[in-house]
Order: sequence, then C-alpha cells, then structure tokens
Amino acid sequence: MCGIMGYIGKTERQEAALGATMLRMLTALGRRGPDSAGIALYAHRADGAYHIRVKPSESADIDARVAEILRRVRTAARLCAHAHADEYLRLTLDSVSDPQALQESIESVHPDIEVISFGRALDLVKQVGSPENLEQRFGISRASGTHAIAHTRLSTESRIDLSHSQPFWAHGTLDVASAHNGHITNYHKLRRQYEQCGVRFYTENDSEIIGIYLCEAMQAGATFAEALQNSVQFFDGSFSYLAATASELGFAKDPFGFKPLIVAESDDYIAIATEEVALRAACGADVETWEPPAGTVRTWNVYQERDKHVPSPVLEAREAVAP
Amino acid sequence: MGIIECEGKTPRQINMAIKALIAAGETDIRVCHPAAYHNLGVALTVPVRVMFEGSVGYYCGGMGDGPTIAVQGSAGWGLAEGMMSGTVVVEKNAGNGAAAAIRGGTVVVRGDVSARAGISMKGGTVIVGGNVGYMTGFMMQKGTIIILGDAGAALGDSLYEGRIFIAGRISELGNDAVLAALSGDDERYLAETLAPFGYEVARYEFKKIEAGRKLWNFDKTDFATWKVAL
Repeated sequence: MCGIMGYIGKTERQEAALGATMLRMLTALGRRGPDSAGIALYAHRADGAYHIRVKPSESADIDARVAEILRRVRTAARLCAHAHADEYLRLTLDSVSDPQALQESIESVHPDIEVISFGRALDLVKQVGSPENLEQRFGISRASGTHAIAHTRLSTESRIDLSHSQPFWAHGTLDVASAHNGHITNYHKLRRQYEQCGVRFYTENDSEIIGIYLCEAMQAGATFAEALQNSVQFFDGSFSYLAATASELGFAKDPFGFKPLIVAESDDYIAIATEEVALRAACGADVETWEPPAGTVRTWNVYQERDKHVPSPVLEAREAVAP
Repeated sequence: MGIIECEGKTPRQINMAIKALIAAGETDIRVCHPAAYHNLGVALTVPVRVMFEGSVGYYCGGMGDGPTIAVQGSAGWGLAEGMMSGTVVVEKNAGNGAAAAIRGGTVVVRGDVSARAGISMKGGTVIVGGNVGYMTGFMMQKGTIIILGDAGAALGDSLYEGRIFIAGRISELGNDAVLAALSGDDERYLAETLAPFGYEVARYEFKKIEAGRKLWNFDKTDFATWKVAL
C-alpha cells in the first residue's frame, strides 16, 4: 500500500514551490507507507553539470572507499564539487565522456556501492523513515524545479533499506526515474530474461524492473509515451506508477484498475497522487480531481506545458497592484 | 443546523462530532473542509442530512442505513459501500468501487466513476451522470444501475440479476451480459427515479442490460463459456 505522487509546475511560482508542494503531498500519504520516503526532483540547470549520488555503504574503511571513488571519478570526468554526509556521497561533474562507464567504475570499487542517482536535471534522495524525516535530513521543501515524483513505501516483499526505497533511478540511463504502487507479478520471469541478457538488478524489489523496461524500450526507439503505453501489457499484476525524464512525466495504470491514482489538472500545474487527500493538501479545495479509468496512460512534456500556460488575467491584475 | 469544522480533527474525531450532533437531536449537519479524508459519515443509521462541503476520501457514507449524504466535491474508493438504505449524492467524480455491495438506497454521482461501480450490489439504485469505467456492475445480484454517459469495457460482467440502463455508448458488454428490450414499466421507472435528481428522462435514449443467465448453472457441454468467464 505505497503512496506515489507527481507534480508539474507550469509557472515560475509553482516551480519555486515545488519542494514544499511535494513535501505536503508526501506528508499526506505518509501513513500509506511508513517504511521509507523519497523524491526525484527535476530542475532546469543552466550550468549543464552532472549530479551523482552514491551510496558508499557503511564499512570500517569508508574513508578509503570514498577516496578511491573520487580518484576514479577524477580520471574519467571533471569533478567540480563533492560532499560526503550520512549515507550519500554527492558529486558534481562539469563534464563526463561516458556516464555509464563512470557509473560502473564507481560501483566496481566494492559490491556494496551503488549509484543511487545520476543526471543533469535529476536529483534523487530517499531514505528509510517518514517524509518528515526526509525533510529534516535533506530540506526538500526548499528545493525548486520543473517537476518531481515521490514515493512513500510500505514494504511487502523485499527488505527495508536505502537501495530498496523508491523512487528508483533507472541505472545506466541519465535522468530516468520511476515510483510504483502495486505488485508486478511477472517480475521473476522478466528478471530472469533480463539477467540472461546481462542486465544488473540492484534490489529484490519488483518495482525496479519498471525503469529497466522503460529505458530498454526507449533505447529501442520508443518515445517515453510509447514505452509507458506498451508497459501496460508487458507487466502483469497491479500497478499505478509514475515515471519521469528530464523533460517528461507520465503515469500508467494496470488494465484492471487495481491501484488508485487521482489526477488534478489546472492552468498552473498538474498534480497526481495515490489519494485525493494529497492533492487537497498540496493544491487546496478548489481544483477538480478524477480517477482515470483502468489501463490509462498519460504523459506530459513539462516544457510544452509551461509554454501553454496562459496567465489568468484576474489573478495577474491583482498581483500587479499588490504591494 | 449543526456545523463541524474538519481542520485540526482526525477522521475519527469528525465522525464522533457527527454522531454527537445526531445524539443531540440535530437533523441537518454541515461538514466544512473535509479535505478528502477517509471513512467520513460511515455507519449512520438515522435519517439525518449530512452535507460535506468539499471532497471526501474512501468509504464515505459506507454501511449507512437511512442518512441523506451530499458531497459537494469528489469521492474516493468505495463510496457508500455496503449501504442498507438512504441517499448519497456526489456532485463531482467518484473513484473505484462506488456503491459496492449496497443492499438498498440510492447512490448518485453526477460526474464520472472509475472501475467496478455497483460491484456485487444486492439491491438499491446507482445513478451516474457521467461515464463509468471498467467492469461496472460486476457480479451484481439485484438492484439497478442507470448510466447517463458512456461505459468502459466489461459492462455488467457476470451479473446474476438486476439491470443496467445506459444512455451512452457501450465499449464492450461483459460475460453473460445481454441487451434486452425496454418495457413501458422500465420507462416509467426511469422517469420517476431520475426526476428527483434533476435528470430529464426525455433527453436520453436508454438501452437495457440484464443477465443472459448462461452462467447460472454449470453446464459441462458449454465449458467454453465458463472458461472465458473465469
């Protein structure tokens, strides 16, 4: 019974408040998933830098591990900043010639090391604990950005730790992340097939396969929308999931409508959440909400939505005279 | 008129406030800012009027026996689930499983409903002003569903008894759901049932769906029918 939520801001004001909006939704859905909470935040960053979050994992030789990771990163990329706090090593790169090779190089330092997030628009943080805890530790409410997806987890089939928390960054592909509520019942069969093709799985969490499938489909030429559309038949079981790239956000619901997902769309934003209570907490009492039918897939291009935004004349006029 | 403000209250405290007003003899209650909380107005067993001024979450009006509940916004899953008698009217949309397993009373959703409205209903009436989703009326055993908009796939799947009237398009009938002719009684019934909620029957052209009764008894020579249904 996880909670998932997504948000696209169409105006500068919505973008500035993205982190605060997402925190309100996460908090509202916290009781659906008390085990862990996480968020994938996307922003348009003018510097074009690459942002990486690595989980070096606790160990006696943690300092040596981090030093070795940094040494390897410096040989493959221009490292402009790094910070090691709690369970994350954060890296900012000016440039990198082969991101996937760098990811593999970092992870080959030790089997416990995982690259949790890698992208130019994406920053992903997740942790074991409540949304309040996520806010306390990472201050997500201060973040601004174009769009975001987030997750609160009630674990049913796999262990509770940082790696098994969601959203999942789709390893190997920059900026792609997913958050899932439900159970992919053909996961074991699909996993075996993927593993025979050499795909590495980082967790025992069935939701991890969503990002793997989407990236495979997009690498084979499908658009983001087509990949989500095809996934509805590819996966069995119950699912409502959200996925995002640097410029797009979308959701897919299983053909039986086993899992809830409620959508609110206004001139200023698009908000999606497992329960309406999150939309009310984030968007107030006025916006209309609806539950899309079973099997529905929808995607939005974040930048096109922003371009389509027509300012409300009444509101703008009122703002103009406000002190 | 009794007024309850939801802000700062848990769903349990809101429900206790409703019941306290009823115990004090109040027959008309306004609930402000319900913020899509779950389980609001459940198990009310007296003919009280409750107005929710906003959206409600899951199971609003569930297990009711006699109340008249109005929701000015949308409703989540399991609206009025297991209701015995009374009326629940939602001004906007409702989620999955609206009016699931009701035994009596009337549930009206003026907007759209998602999947499985009226699943396993054993009596009562469901009126949907907009469209209905997948598997509406799945395994219904009695009662009536009236749909003014369009229906998604598997409409009336495996229904035993009861009937569905639909004015819009049917994307696909469910297993053993068949079209039947409308009688004069049906037309009178529709006019009488819809009028109190402001729907004019003359504006719609209804089709009627009922059980084909092929699934009532197991017939091993007709195994293919069962294989599809199960």
